[in-house]
Amino acid sequence: MNEKNERIVLDVAYQPQVRTTRDTKSLMLDVIIALLPAVVVAVWQFGTQPLLMVACSVAAAVFFEWGYRKLLHKDPSIGDLSAVVTGLLLGLSMPSTAQWWMPVVGAFFAIVVVKQLYGGIGKNFLNPALAGRAFLLSSYSLAMGQFAVPNSLKNIVDGVSMATPLSYLYGGGKMPAYFRLSSLFLGNTPGSLAEISSLILLAGGVYLIARKVISWRIPVSFIGTVFVLTLIFGGGDMSNLDFALYNVCTGALILVAVFMATDYATSPVTKNGQLLYGFGCGAITVLIRYFGGFPEGTTYAVLIMNLCTWAIDKGFHRHQFGVSKEDIAAEKAAKKAAKEAAK
Amino acid sequence: MNKILKLTFVLFLICAIVAGILGGVNELTKDRIYAIQNAATIAAYSAVLEAEGYDEVDFDRAAFPTVDKISEASNGAGHVVELTVSGAQGLITLAVGVDTDAKCSGISIIEHSETSGLGANAAADSEIGRNFRAQFVGEGEDIALSKSGGNIDALAGATITSNAVTGAVATAIQAVNSLG
Amino acid sequence: MNRKQQFIEGLTTNNPVLVQQIGMCATMAITTTLFNGVGMGLSVLIILTCCNVVVSAIRKIIPDEIRLAIFVVVIAGFVTIVDLVLQAYIPALSAALGVFIPLIVVNCIIIGRAEAFCQKNKVSDSFFDGIFQGLGYTCVLIIMCVVRELLGSGKFGGGLIDITSGFRFTLDGTGAGIQIFPSSYGAGILNLPFGGFITLGVLIAVMQYALKKGAKKKAAKEHEEKLQALLAAEEEAE
Repeated sequence: MNEKNERIVLDVAYQPQVRTTRDTKSLMLDVIIALLPAVVVAVWQFGTQPLLMVACSVAAAVFFEWGYRKLLHKDPSIGDLSAVVTGLLLGLSMPSTAQWWMPVVGAFFAIVVVKQLYGGIGKNFLNPALAGRAFLLSSYSLAMGQFAVPNSLKNIVDGVSMATPLSYLYGGGKMPAYFRLSSLFLGNTPGSLAEISSLILLAGGVYLIARKVISWRIPVSFIGTVFVLTLIFGGGDMSNLDFALYNVCTGALILVAVFMATDYATSPVTKNGQLLYGFGCGAITVLIRYFGGFPEGTTYAVLIMNLCTWAIDKGFHRHQFGVSKEDIAAEKAAKKAAKEAAK
Repeated sequence: MNKILKLTFVLFLICAIVAGILGGVNELTKDRIYAIQNAATIAAYSAVLEAEGYDEVDFDRAAFPTVDKISEASNGAGHVVELTVSGAQGLITLAVGVDTDAKCSGISIIEHSETSGLGANAAADSEIGRNFRAQFVGEGEDIALSKSGGNIDALAGATITSNAVTGAVATAIQAVNSLG
Repeated sequence: MNRKQQFIEGLTTNNPVLVQQIGMCATMAITTTLFNGVGMGLSVLIILTCCNVVVSAIRKIIPDEIRLAIFVVVIAGFVTIVDLVLQAYIPALSAALGVFIPLIVVNCIIIGRAEAFCQKNKVSDSFFDGIFQGLGYTCVLIIMCVVRELLGSGKFGGGLIDITSGFRFTLDGTGAGIQIFPSSYGAGILNLPFGGFITLGVLIAVMQYALKKGAKKKAAKEHEEKLQALLAAEEEAE
């Protein structure tokens, strides 16, 4: 037998198998464009350290992706830029005082363990960047919980690191006057690199929705749930509306809701499923913020909902093309009749 | 019927043999284990309140469910209270020394299963651990974490563990006070 | 029975943890320091060997209906003996392993070997089966301890080795181990149960990969030999 005939190579791409100019690369490029302003803001507030952090993180993520696939003789996949996005998100979710090697360790876990061991892009069941962040949170909890004073607050706050607005919301104590809502929204929040300015992140989100990279459902239902729940239950030393607004504008909520919870591979595909998923993320976030031992709950909330995605997809699966509502009703009736007949 | 009797007999025989051997091993190791456990308790106790011996006293068990044992120091320096409270991961057993002024004279964590690197620092023989435990010396019944207005700085990243230990010390002092 | 074959089976092709995948609970729970790993491994090795010998020795007199009950009684007896001896002579190990020593009673490796091997085989075979399976278990524990301890807290040989005043082994579990890099660099999550799951998963994957590769090589070699023989036969025929 001719040896060449034994191996038939089929050209099978990942879903959706539709011919379009929008490929993974162009989608990822849009995400990178949407994130770049956040990097600029981080540099403005924290100096050059964020640049080093993000550069290390991106370089490590790309290197691990390239290295793993090279080592196991798989097709190279760094061209689709998904590793760059993972690295960028991971780097941006680090505090500015972290060591440069921390995002490298996180990138190893995110790319090799979470993404590649399960088969690479599209087959991971957790968002790699978030899983990397959770890994670092548990491993270097001290360093990951220390936040430098942003440049714009240097004149007001003494010392190198400071408490975040979130810790005032739930840890007791009066919210300091320099944490005005408007300034937090524009870009004064101490926290991880990308948490500084809610406005910039929201602008990135709007850009992504306009470019149809992500749908509005997950971010809106996620942030909306957090807002409504904190509005109802209130807390802290302020009115419920202020409390809810603080909850939305501080912490990693917007970054996670817009850029991480919307990851294609780990979020549901149906419209209702996406709404439920966003609601779940928001509800768990609020639960962790109120009752958990961590100051910020978005990371674990999204990871938990990542694990529920398959169940949500199953519950909200669409019917086959061409099957009408009457057919479904008839099928249900037939099943019911069969059940009763069995009795 | 015969078969059942036979099965019972075989099982009984084997159980009896095993039980006999175990009895022998127990007899051989009993004293040593008792001595080791006693030494460990004395070491933990004398670390929190110096004395030659400790005599167990009765207390109101219903009012203090987390308290296992209260012992009075033979030299009249105060009491040592052994408590088991729940921490972040599991139960924490600790000995708390309470002097005659109803102040804490030291704590020693006998058993725990807290997260290593975070809550486990409370029991660790490291600088962090020693500094954490030293904070409790001299504290009274109104002991609290610094973020609730007290003097005890919580271990970084281990608020639940710190809270549990602080609460245990407060309970211990209350229990000793209740002795009258 | 071939001793070499038994040895290879215990350590690799039929390794209790990595291939039979039994006794994993303690494997994931206690492998945080080398001291724990070596102690647990040797405890299981001793209990397994003793139980194997006894079960094999009485295999002909125990009625089939109550064999499991008898296995459990024998195992529980040996576990209790080891537990008491450890408490009396190595209290540090007893304290470190805690409930996992009594839990060896329900460790699948021991009852599994009793059921699958000893009740059908001679005493001498069962004795070596206990030693080799126990060694296989101990090796996995040691590998996991070394990996988790090194990556988790930058140490090697915690509890077992002390280098503060020259290199020496500390059998009472007090040694601090060798600090290879500062523990603040270690990924502390590996000391948590999560680290146990991940490390064990990766080890199993590596083992399966190696076994498959070995099997492939063997098959290729056999194929080659067969081909050579065929060619030789053909040449002869010509």
